[in-house]
Amino acid sequence: MLSQLLRSEWMKIKRKGLWFLTVLGPLGVVGLTMVNYGVRKDYLLSLSDDDWAIYLDNILSLTPLALVLGIVILTSMMASIENQTNAWKQWLALPVSRSSVYLSKYVIATTLLFVSSIILGIGTTLYGLTLGLGDDIPWLRIMQVSFYPWLASQALIAFHLWVAVANNNQGITVSIGVVGVILTFMAFFLPDWFLWKWPTLANDWNNPFINIVLGISAGLLLFIAGMWHFCRKDVS
Amino acid sequence: MSIIVQTEQLTKTFQKQQAVDHVDMVIREGEIYGFLGPNGAGKTTTIRMLLGLMKPTSGTVRIFGKELQKHKLDILRQVGSLVENPSYYPHLTAYENLNVVREIVGVPHKRISEVLETVRLTEAAHRKVKGFSLGMKQRLGIAAALLHQPKLLVLDEPTNGLDPSGIIEIRELIKSLPQQYGMTVLISSHLLSEIDQIATAVGVVSRGKLIYQDQMSNLRKLARSTIRIQCSEPGKAVAALKQLELAAAHEQEQLILENCSNRSVADAVSLLVHQGHDIYRVEENKQSLEQIFLSMTDGVSL
Repeated sequence: MLSQLLRSEWMKIKRKGLWFLTVLGPLGVVGLTMVNYGVRKDYLLSLSDDDWAIYLDNILSLTPLALVLGIVILTSMMASIENQTNAWKQWLALPVSRSSVYLSKYVIATTLLFVSSIILGIGTTLYGLTLGLGDDIPWLRIMQVSFYPWLASQALIAFHLWVAVANNNQGITVSIGVVGVILTFMAFFLPDWFLWKWPTLANDWNNPFINIVLGISAGLLLFIAGMWHFCRKDVS
Repeated sequence: MSIIVQTEQLTKTFQKQQAVDHVDMVIREGEIYGFLGPNGAGKTTTIRMLLGLMKPTSGTVRIFGKELQKHKLDILRQVGSLVENPSYYPHLTAYENLNVVREIVGVPHKRISEVLETVRLTEAAHRKVKGFSLGMKQRLGIAAALLHQPKLLVLDEPTNGLDPSGIIEIRELIKSLPQQYGMTVLISSHLLSEIDQIATAVGVVSRGKLIYQDQMSNLRKLARSTIRIQCSEPGKAVAALKQLELAAAHEQEQLILENCSNRSVADAVSLLVHQGHDIYRVEENKQSLEQIFLSMTDGVSL
């Protein structure tokens, strides 16, 4: 059932620009870092002996913003594909369980963002190499910078999917998303329990793993809550 | 004939307003069941409950003899539906739209071409649905509903917004389904003429209540015929017709005979002429289905 649903969902997102956004996000992060290094490379290289560390910190400062923005836009666009002509009523009158439908939407959103993370990892490595940051490439740290924010964002994906699917008016969804992006921008000042802080991997214990555990466990709870709501909702 | 759809005391309440009020609907195999009622009478809400899109406040829905709440997926595998305005993905082509549904209902690719042919959309198969006319979108919706050859087809106002030729086309298509594929069809409409031409059974809903349900032929029998005879001295004529044991009434210089056969009319006219009455006019007045419905729905027009 889920595999059939996923095949259908992949077909539905055709020509809607979701793949374009998936690629644009990580390229945007690497592109902005290029601008940063293009303008003040000497200064940035003078900050520390470990040039890779400074470079990856720069990448990591931009990733959460791109990721949160990506989550908002992707989930909202996925819901709008159904909302546009109220296709929910056709889709949910097919022999499919609502929980599988909800799960398939989540899988699509998180897979697209995973692909973004892969592209980010590749882009980060390639540009890092062209900058000549040293031969000792910190592969593990690159992987962490590329994929940890995605893992820590599972709660946000679940939250925004719920909001997008529950509201026919995507204006509400995007407004909440914009507030979220601003909150992520100010993450440094936010308490550790705040959802929007988790993709930055920052916390009082200086242990990014905590954000991942929080992101995945809260993500699971929010996913179950959203699915519970979706399964009981009357389709108008 | 076995019962395909049966609701018992089906009720849906929205914030204290009863949209559907204790409806007992019965649809038998092979019927085209016309679900008729004014806008806002509760047709769409009932249909949504039949498809599991809305949960009833109380009452039950049984389809193919199984309870919908407990066997929803099993039942929906054999149900095709088009609810209100057609739903489609405008950025996809007609073929792609059907392919999205095909994956779920698990039928071979060739079914897509077949249903496109059935609704005459083969030529537009690879065009984006965004540019389709309303009639084409409606036909695409029907194609999607037919894709898995369902036993029960539920069509909610399928001719809404179509031009006359589109209406005729869809009507002919729906009429052919029970014979060709053994389908049972539930079709809702607020247009009496529509249901009159297509349905074999009818359910009339008004203000959430199912106020009439029977075979269409029985409903037509309700349409009473009256003969009005305009003649000189209708008062005397009424007395004269008592010889024929015909119950005649006298109203505004006219004689009124109800439900009489051709023979009785001929006898009455012949008798009056023999007795020297001048006959000016003999007219038949049939109460239209429209009038019957108006009286059923307390004047809310259909």
